[in-house]
Amino acid sequence: MSADTNQEAREQLIDLAAQFYDQFELGEIPHMSVPTRTKSNIEYDEDKSVWVYGDRESTRSANSVRGARKLLKAVYTIEFLANQLEEDRSSTLRELYYLSESWDNEEAQFSDQDESNGLIEDLEIVSGVTREDFHMRPEESGATIMGPLHLREQTRRGEREIHCQEDVGEGGYQIPNNPDTIEFLDNDADFILAVETGGMRDRLVENGFDEEYNALIVHLKGQPARATRRITKRLHDELELPVTVFADGDPWSYRIYGSVAYGSIKSAHLSEYLATPEAKYIGIQPADIVEYDLPTDPLSDSDVNALESELDDPRFQTDYWEEQIELQLEIEKKSEQQSLASHGLDFVTETYLPERLDEMGII
Amino acid sequence: MTSFQSTLGEEPGIAEELAENQQAISIAEFFEKNKHMLGFDSGARGLVTAVKEAVDNALDAAEEAGILPDIYVEIQEDGDYYRLIVEDNGPGLTKESLPKVFGKLLYGSRFHVREQNRGQQGIGISAAVLYSQLTSGKPAKITSRTQGESEAQYFELIVDTDDNEPEISVERTTSWDRPHGTRIELEMEANMRARQQLHDYIKHTAVVNPHARLELREPKAEFKFERATDQLPEETEEIRPHPHGVELGTVIKMLAATDSHTVSGFLQEEFTRVGKKTADSVIDAFRDRHYGREMRWRSPAAHEGIELESTVSDATANKGADATAAFADAIAEAVDDRDRIAHHELRADVEAAAEAVEAEHGTTFGETVRENAVEAVWLVLIDAVDDEDDATDVAAADPDGSRLVADLYELVDDATSTRKDDEVVHAFAERLAAKFEDAGEEDVRHRLTRRTLRDHVDRAAELTEEYDDVAFGDTARENVVDAVWNVMATVPDDPPLVRELESDRDASSDLVDGMRETDIMAPPTRCLSPISAELIEAGLEKEFDADFYASSTRDAEVHGGDPFIVEAGIAYGGELEAEGSVDVLRFANRVPLVYQRGACATTDVVRSIGWRNYGLDQPGGSGLPNGPAVIMVHVASTNVPFTSESKDAVANVPEIEDEIELAIREAARELKSYLNKRRSMQKRRKKQNVLGKILPEMAEKVAEVTGRAEPNIDDAIARIMNNVLVEREVERNGDGQSVSVVVENNSSTNESLEITDIVTAEPRNLSDGATVVEMDGEWFVKWEPDVESGGDAALEYEIAADGTFDLDVKGVETEKLTVKQ
Repeated sequence: MSADTNQEAREQLIDLAAQFYDQFELGEIPHMSVPTRTKSNIEYDEDKSVWVYGDRESTRSANSVRGARKLLKAVYTIEFLANQLEEDRSSTLRELYYLSESWDNEEAQFSDQDESNGLIEDLEIVSGVTREDFHMRPEESGATIMGPLHLREQTRRGEREIHCQEDVGEGGYQIPNNPDTIEFLDNDADFILAVETGGMRDRLVENGFDEEYNALIVHLKGQPARATRRITKRLHDELELPVTVFADGDPWSYRIYGSVAYGSIKSAHLSEYLATPEAKYIGIQPADIVEYDLPTDPLSDSDVNALESELDDPRFQTDYWEEQIELQLEIEKKSEQQSLASHGLDFVTETYLPERLDEMGII
Repeated sequence: MTSFQSTLGEEPGIAEELAENQQAISIAEFFEKNKHMLGFDSGARGLVTAVKEAVDNALDAAEEAGILPDIYVEIQEDGDYYRLIVEDNGPGLTKESLPKVFGKLLYGSRFHVREQNRGQQGIGISAAVLYSQLTSGKPAKITSRTQGESEAQYFELIVDTDDNEPEISVERTTSWDRPHGTRIELEMEANMRARQQLHDYIKHTAVVNPHARLELREPKAEFKFERATDQLPEETEEIRPHPHGVELGTVIKMLAATDSHTVSGFLQEEFTRVGKKTADSVIDAFRDRHYGREMRWRSPAAHEGIELESTVSDATANKGADATAAFADAIAEAVDDRDRIAHHELRADVEAAAEAVEAEHGTTFGETVRENAVEAVWLVLIDAVDDEDDATDVAAADPDGSRLVADLYELVDDATSTRKDDEVVHAFAERLAAKFEDAGEEDVRHRLTRRTLRDHVDRAAELTEEYDDVAFGDTARENVVDAVWNVMATVPDDPPLVRELESDRDASSDLVDGMRETDIMAPPTRCLSPISAELIEAGLEKEFDADFYASSTRDAEVHGGDPFIVEAGIAYGGELEAEGSVDVLRFANRVPLVYQRGACATTDVVRSIGWRNYGLDQPGGSGLPNGPAVIMVHVASTNVPFTSESKDAVANVPEIEDEIELAIREAARELKSYLNKRRSMQKRRKKQNVLGKILPEMAEKVAEVTGRAEPNIDDAIARIMNNVLVEREVERNGDGQSVSVVVENNSSTNESLEITDIVTAEPRNLSDGATVVEMDGEWFVKWEPDVESGGDAALEYEIAADGTFDLDVKGVETEKLTVKQ
């Protein structure tokens, strides 16, 4: 990371503190406004084809005891981040939470990690600097890539050139926290296959799907981390590879697809940077459940609520998703990726995926 | 079966013998045996009651004479006995009246008076004398001096219980240091177990009599209660009785005693709030009861084919064709003009027609002619024409029955529920009409009292129930009675004269009923002397060290003809006992009630109120609330209804209870808003404490991060706390300095401030609205701006360079104020 970026990020933070300073001096109540981060306040940006925050704002103001505590914590966090940038070090979100325990002022300490995570998001939005540029990283997500891709990673211990099939074990290449340190050198890939579960990823690797179809298999590991989404976006944009998402057939998996394709609600300020609107959903689709006669589980109440809430979600208001979700509500069933094994271990790589990818025009 | 009656035996004269043992009991003797009725049931209680009676008398006496009461009470221990001394600065008693006041029960000036007084029956103090003589055997020692007398009178007396007369043992003059007043010394068997009640009585008396100075000296303690005001309670005036509050016996007595001849005069003379108009209303109500009303039947409609002209003409003989025709026309027209007509109205119309035709045609229409005309027309109207001649005619005209049936059918149909079918209503109307026809045999005028009407309706309804097999309930009957009664007309008969009424119990009873029935303005309140909300607070403040006081005085209301006013007061917080239930102070006509708390309407009302609504703790949500509070209730009336002669508890009269509740709630609402405010101030203080810590820390951190000097955060804090910020800005201005004091109101309410800026040099060019006063080389700049929520205002002036200032701000709670000098 260049010293320039550090310096820039640091200045943005100090500007924020200076803004509070000026508010004090003018006799104003110190405050900062951030977009409201809820489903009802995201809107589609036609130009960038991603979902971004709307106009509604929440104000964090020192008007109340709660608000004042929040701002005090913000100032302490700003100080911490500024120092971290100056020293060119980094820390995890969890470390920030524990670190606050060492601050001299009890009022400034975080009561739980959600609070510190939320604050970092606030600061990202207000300062326009991403968390990665603050040198704040999440816990290791462990997401991996397997496929015909050659890249160079800028690590703290120097540059490494890695081929994601030849230089890695069966586990694949581990995506670093800040994928912007990666440079793509060469590839033979035809498309990207983002897979939700580890079991399915291992099945695909074992069956040699990446080799046979020149697929870059990205393991999402559930709800994908920012780094996973970022690298997917870069692979799509820079290498012009189509992106497909292969997940379970339940409402939670549609959200995983949603965050890859449209961006998540909590990071809608970074949608432009993280979302791949062109990503396509392979399945499991509710229609597949019927068509392939897959083993199912009944929908639970929370599944039904989640499906209904998705019908309200602006990101899912397309004909395709409405049709699929309504079908699922009708059949009241859900299936996992691995239920494809009911037709044999090779069914997924020999029948299901080729059929689906063909339908979608990917192969 | 045979029964054996036990017989009295053979000796004659048993009744006579028994009669010999029967004799009158003197009232004094009666009370001697029933001491408890007067509050002398025990030694402990007797002492308190004696003090109470003596002090009440003393207060009444002084106030009546327009003197600010100064009362001294002393209790001395004397072996097995206690000696009670009560001294006042009242006007004193004359030599003649003194023995009776103290030595004769039921002697007093107030029993017959409708006016608020502490004592009423004239029993109290003489009962105390009686109690003292019964328990100690010693006479009461009384000293009294009237204004201007050189010497005081001294008496020793007892009550002669045989004939309820004072028995004087010593009578002489003596010297006394008070210029006027009365002193009574009673010795009695007593104890001080009821000391708490005694103290309560004296203390509470001080609360409701802030104009009185009281002193209590006990064997081992002394208490003084100073005045809180020099304002005597307003003098009360006696009022005449209110028509709503008198009973039959009283009215008969008043009828016998009055000088008036007419009832109207009697009502106006002897009662309060009765003028000509009200008297007329009462008399109308009396007529309705006494004479009954006359039924008004519908005037004939065109389609009925009734020609009253011919009826009149037929009935009028030998008056010449023109005059007869004119007479007939006039009557027919007059009847036609009316919607409904009663017998006496018809008579009036006939009279008027006769007069008019007489004037025009010069023909005399004598009494007989008029009578005939009235009868003829009336019979047509009530369909009672003797129609032997043309029976067929009538039957043809009225296929549905008589006019009366048609008329009543309409009234009944309107008055009863729509569920009753036409047949039934019609049958009922026919039966009711039949009752009218029957009644017409006796009194052709169809004159009925409401009660008779009800009887008719009942009878008709019963028959209907019986034959038509439908329910005709009480409500329906009452509705029918109402409907009919309302179309009936009050008769113009003159009411009897007073002397006739006097001996006619039934008529008098009708009069009393009429008086009760008539709406009459509430009695005047000159006869009452409420303490006033202001003085209640002053009294509470004087005796209770609390944080907050509230009070309320209701408007006068009436109960049983006696006006009354309820007042309430609440003291809260401060030094008041926080543990246990609140104290309820009960007063009636400024007299504290210390016994029988549980039997008192006041206590019941306090218990029934949901105090949690008003911010007091109330375990279980009912009963006496807990907390550091005192609740006082004062009922002032010309006749406070007590539960017993000892006057310890106000009776549960609904009208009075309602007013007590409203008065308490009024004061409690103030308490609530005070407590709410206090709570919000507490919250504000807490917020201020927390923010007062966080914000400076934040400012410090911000300065550290940005590498600047620490920012000034006072303005921000004032804004955050929605505070009123008063800030001084000083600028050098040539030789002097220009000063501006800026008020910025960040609160959500408008604020009125009182700002005093004390400066050591003379201020010049003072801005508008401010004044300056010089005192001992200091100038007090006074400025009282009203600043609306969110607004600001500025005071500006110039002073010499060496001047210094000191700012004092009032009018805003300290929690809400930020002053920057």
